Amino acid sequence: MNSTQQLQHLYWRAGFGPRPQDVAAGLSPRKALRQLLLDSEHYEPLAGPTLSYTNPQGMVMTDPASTKNNPVPNGMVIKPDLPAPPGAPAAPVALMRPRAAFKGGTIAAGVPRLRRADLTPAQRKMQNEGIRDAFNNMSTAWMERMASSPAQLREKMTLFWHGHFACRVRQPDAALSLHNTTRQYALGKFPDLLLAVSREPAMLQFLNNQQNRKEHPNENFAREVMELFTLGHGNYTETDVKEAARAFTGWGYDRQGNFRFQQREHDTGPKTFLGKTGNLTGEDVLTHILAQPAAATFLTTKLYRFFVNDVPNPAHIEPLAVAFRKSGYDIADLMERLFSADWFYEPANMGTHIKSPVELLAGIRRTLNVKVDNAQPLLGYQRALGQNLFQPPNVAGWPGGRNWIDSSSLLLRLQLPAILFKNAEFAVALKQDENDIAPNQTKAERTVRPGAGAHLPLGPLQLLLGATPTAQQPEKLSGFLLQASIRPENLQLVQQAAQQKEPTEALRATLMNLLSLPEYQLA
Amino acid sequence: MASTRREFLRTSALASTLLLIPKFLHALDRGPGLAGLRDATGARRLIVVQLGGGNDGLNTVIPYRNELYYKARPTLGIKEAEGILALDKDLGLHPALKGLKGLYDQGQLAVLNSVGYPNPDRSHFRSMDIWQSGSGSDQVVSTGWLGRYLDSNCPDCQRPYNALEIDDTLSLALKGGQRKGLALKNPDKFHQISQNRLLAKVSKETAPAHQEQVDYLYKTLAETASSADYLYDKSKIYKSAVTYPNSDFGKNLKTTAELINSGVESRVYYLALNGFDTHVRQHEQQQRLFTDLGNGLAALADDLRQHDQWNNTLVLVFSEFGRRVGQNASNGTDHGTANNVFLAGGALQKKGVINNAPDLLNLDQGDLRHQVDFRSIYASILKDWLGADDTAILGAGFERMSGLV
Repeated sequence: MNSTQQLQHLYWRAGFGPRPQDVAAGLSPRKALRQLLLDSEHYEPLAGPTLSYTNPQGMVMTDPASTKNNPVPNGMVIKPDLPAPPGAPAAPVALMRPRAAFKGGTIAAGVPRLRRADLTPAQRKMQNEGIRDAFNNMSTAWMERMASSPAQLREKMTLFWHGHFACRVRQPDAALSLHNTTRQYALGKFPDLLLAVSREPAMLQFLNNQQNRKEHPNENFAREVMELFTLGHGNYTETDVKEAARAFTGWGYDRQGNFRFQQREHDTGPKTFLGKTGNLTGEDVLTHILAQPAAATFLTTKLYRFFVNDVPNPAHIEPLAVAFRKSGYDIADLMERLFSADWFYEPANMGTHIKSPVELLAGIRRTLNVKVDNAQPLLGYQRALGQNLFQPPNVAGWPGGRNWIDSSSLLLRLQLPAILFKNAEFAVALKQDENDIAPNQTKAERTVRPGAGAHLPLGPLQLLLGATPTAQQPEKLSGFLLQASIRPENLQLVQQAAQQKEPTEALRATLMNLLSLPEYQLA
Repeated sequence: MASTRREFLRTSALASTLLLIPKFLHALDRGPGLAGLRDATGARRLIVVQLGGGNDGLNTVIPYRNELYYKARPTLGIKEAEGILALDKDLGLHPALKGLKGLYDQGQLAVLNSVGYPNPDRSHFRSMDIWQSGSGSDQVVSTGWLGRYLDSNCPDCQRPYNALEIDDTLSLALKGGQRKGLALKNPDKFHQISQNRLLAKVSKETAPAHQEQVDYLYKTLAETASSADYLYDKSKIYKSAVTYPNSDFGKNLKTTAELINSGVESRVYYLALNGFDTHVRQHEQQQRLFTDLGNGLAALADDLRQHDQWNNTLVLVFSEFGRRVGQNASNGTDHGTANNVFLAGGALQKKGVINNAPDLLNLDQGDLRHQVDFRSIYASILKDWLGADDTAILGAGFERMSGLV
């Protein structure tokens, strides 16, 4: 493997692919990594007026009774306040502001309390559309960042944590707040990230900790914190789950959507958790979890599978896990070690990762400097391919790897360049259940059609091509676009397809053909 | 720059992709194929109809002699005089379900009441996930129950058309760990997308690249192309003359019948009828959807009967949850729990209303308690109908309902 391929490998794994200028700059992978880390130091929240949802009727959407009976999809968290300023610590002191009492559903005076079921069909439709727009705009804004931000590693890490801390709620504001928390701590210390995520109303709601009370413990949150977020199955007992659930009693959120510790609901009695006994709090539980070596191994394995290879290699993972724990779970430090390891650049780890739909689309945009007139259809393609940002399939996130590929998704992936750049005929009706927000959409409303208006500029490629004669361009470009080596007969066909065309058209045809190969599905 | 389909096929990179399928993969066409499924248990097949949105079971199979029902639903309750189609056990079908009543009268319908699972989840998405994966509400499983059926019964099958979904994208239900089903709206369109005239030009013998993931992608592509060929050729054999509802669901049922009557060797068909999230104006919505459902299934049964395929067909109709017992203020119902499941087919073992009507006296905070775990029904279908190992697919602990199918 030459150093250009290694450099491209780094850009694909630590971000959303190399741009021609990245390759032309010819940095060593080591220097490029340092630059990526530097460029990703800064945290900038995803924000903007179109990303939040304000109910046009000024109504509160639920009351405690309906929240209780309908815990997951319909409880609305109203959050009129601005999110915490960038860099604000996630300490409870900072998040807890005096609010009207939660119990009894007291809310801002003068605002009528209406249940969702009480809305007229027109109001309901308007509400659904407002919520859907906010989610669409959030996804579009994030995709734009992935394609264009210099903070590539932070974007990629945020995508990793988005799947790790998978959460699906109906409230755009709560979802955005959780997103920005993972974005903020994406490269920080994992204990800070874990604590902050555990205090996000979206997560507390999704994992039912709002229903976790002294008298009626709900174990869902405690279980998933251990099974999915930190330790993995088999590294704790059912008793540990029960005891941890008791420690998390009282962790909830108020009607303004802020974390709120409700002392009255908290079980202050002695608990025994992972061998430690005391009047443990939720914070204590998180601390004890991270004291387990199993936590470092579990997290490092998951990162390895996402960034290196679907098949974990314990010989690579264990030393990283030890260093991770020793560093106080410093994520940036771990990632630097991972991307610097010799084995990271071994052939077995290059060009062997099946791109997720988001990686595929953001990758096309980034590596080729693609400009789009309308980003909304791109979201439709992602969804049709199985990855709807902010709407993971379940609490375990997207399984990834070969799960992305089935007959229909593969055909759509191979057609994608033609749909994007040639407006090729295309219509896919998304499934009804793609979206809990508007489950009664008609087929026409669910159908994704072309119309992104994507433009493929050829100028930047000149940085790579230089004076390369037309006949050698396919080979040169395949080296840039494909991380899995191209089959010789495929190269021959791409070359044939580029013959007898004027240079610009030949270049365009070559790009389209390379982007449509099964090899392009890999990074 | 819009282009026609013809231009697309000629110029698109996909065209060059498909012609690149190495010849060694074409050997798939002569592979072991469906044998494991085709020969099992008399080539029986299963059609799953998913009612998306959470159908209100209480207004589907109506306890019309129970005053608690009318008390909970003062305006939404359907009165006997409106044309309830009486079954036994003091239950009756919604007046729009004449198609199902026909099947019932012929002994070709089974009604199961209060089907659900412990700790029910009221999110559409999550509950559908649970029904499709066959998991408990406290488990997360990333494969579907019918996908695992393929894994378990046909590990060597190289044709994704073993299980077909009549739709543009594939549901979790048909995704296994190793084998996956195939989604298509109709064989012509799918064939058009996946084939082109250049395919014939492929002549070179090519060895696998020995790069596992690349080979996997090419293998999937080859299986897809070969399935598209097969389905396209086969489906030309029979075009239905039976009248189906003029709706998307009706068209999909017709496609299903055409594939079956053409002799396509698929064991599983999966279809959805959507729109059951009836928070408001439930009456109008159910009326329209049930007309579609009942008439559609009656037409399907007719069509298959005419070709001696109804006796080896079993239809399973389910929804991700039922609605709350009490109506809401908008003449609708909110998300609830246990619900009805229907089974239909020409050779049902148990017919009619299988178990007791839902107990409206003994509710859980206004919701029905489940009597039957849906995985017991799956287990019966897998073992007794499809001849599969239900325990390997669903895990232990779900007792089959003996003599059901």
